Amino acid sequence: MSDLATALVFWPVGALMLVTALYVFVTSSMARAGLLLLAALALEGLLFLALASEFLGVLMLLMMSAEMVIMVFFMVMFMPDPGGLMGMDMVHDKRRSAGAAVVVGLLLAVVAVLTDWPAQMLPPDAPDVRAIGFEVMGRSMFSFLFAGMAILFTIVGGIMVAKQGGRYGVGAPAGEAREG
Amino acid sequence: MSDLTPFAILALAAVGAVAVASLETLVAGFRPAPLGATRQALAGLRQPISHPTTYDGWLFHLAPGLLLLAALAALAMVPWAPGFRGIDLETGAILFPAALAYVTPAVFMAGWGGGSPLPVIGGFRFIALMLGYAMPIAMVATAVAAPAGSLRPSDIVDIQATVPMALAQPFSLALWLPAVMAVALLAPFDVATAPHELGGGAFERYTGLEAALVALARRVLLLAVAGMTAAFFLSGWHGPLLPDWLWMAVKTAAVAALMLYAGRRLPRLETDRLLTLAWKVAVPGAIAAIVLAGAETLLFYS
Repeated sequence: MSDLATALVFWPVGALMLVTALYVFVTSSMARAGLLLLAALALEGLLFLALASEFLGVLMLLMMSAEMVIMVFFMVMFMPDPGGLMGMDMVHDKRRSAGAAVVVGLLLAVVAVLTDWPAQMLPPDAPDVRAIGFEVMGRSMFSFLFAGMAILFTIVGGIMVAKQGGRYGVGAPAGEAREG
Repeated sequence: MSDLTPFAILALAAVGAVAVASLETLVAGFRPAPLGATRQALAGLRQPISHPTTYDGWLFHLAPGLLLLAALAALAMVPWAPGFRGIDLETGAILFPAALAYVTPAVFMAGWGGGSPLPVIGGFRFIALMLGYAMPIAMVATAVAAPAGSLRPSDIVDIQATVPMALAQPFSLALWLPAVMAVALLAPFDVATAPHELGGGAFERYTGLEAALVALARRVLLLAVAGMTAAFFLSGWHGPLLPDWLWMAVKTAAVAALMLYAGRRLPRLETDRLLTLAWKVAVPGAIAAIVLAGAETLLFYS
């Protein structure tokens, strides 16, 4: 894509991404929050595509749809106010967290603007590219696999712990009670 | 890809949807009347669209558009002929499941925004179903891409010039077909939109233009998954005598007819049985399919 076309996609999509991300914290409905987060992350995938990072963009679009839909599913299942109709506040310790978010955001923006990013494009068969590939698929793969397994066990364990009491903290109905 | 490719894909979606609707009528055992059916569908547009009285009504109105967008994006990845390869991306085989992954939020939004019990149940059923069936689609896509050494769909078609992938990896095909039928909301996997059980489920409350959009998107979705099945497993445009695009059309129609026929012959299972199949058979099976594909690639293709 030409620079103009990239800019025409980048800035509106980036602005829309920030707006949807902000609304995640404004709404109190679990379904809306999850879907807005999905919108924000899908728009980020589009940003990657606009910046000619095709594989990352496509992967982002694929993974985020599945992950955010899972999040909607579990949030609606386990949160006490899934529809946002009882005025539950999702945000805690507002002032300090907002302050921390602004400070960290500004710091990251300064780093992003002031860093001297490399401008040259490497061909796909450059030695650096090969080295990164071997690093990611070799030694580091072992820890990635264990991290993935740990996350899976956490999800399953979390559901098993949460399910026993049910959403409202009452015991399971008589028919569902299990011998433990 | 030329500048006209996007328009060609839109035209294909419009014509293909009518063809798929005719095929549905034919498989159901009636004589298809595409002109009459189209006229009837256009007459339905005069009906006003319905507005659910819930706070999340905007999700309800966004859903048909998102569904159609996901279906069109999936259709755009299908390579139809050497001269018309769709949006021919290096990552097409991953973008195809990525596009299909947006069917899930669309169906959930339709159900949740509809705001009455049956649509909401339909939306949640579809999320549960797709958590299981989305993975085999992406994993099988990597399995068929392994011999080609490329995620470009047209490369995957070209590697099948001698042996179609259906013969080289029949196990992958067996995992792929139910998974794409589930994502295309086809019977017997249509627990989210079950006409007899949930009275239309997630799409129950749509009328007028929005109902037409949903109907169109479902046909485009079937066309996309049937086309991609033909490209990934039935060697796409390769074949003797007939012109290449005609081979692709015949194979796509055959796959679509098979899916529709299976939906008419097989009973709809309960959601939890479908999930058992997905998690205990399809997902471990897909891992095995990737290992098998890797072994085959090392032995025969390199």
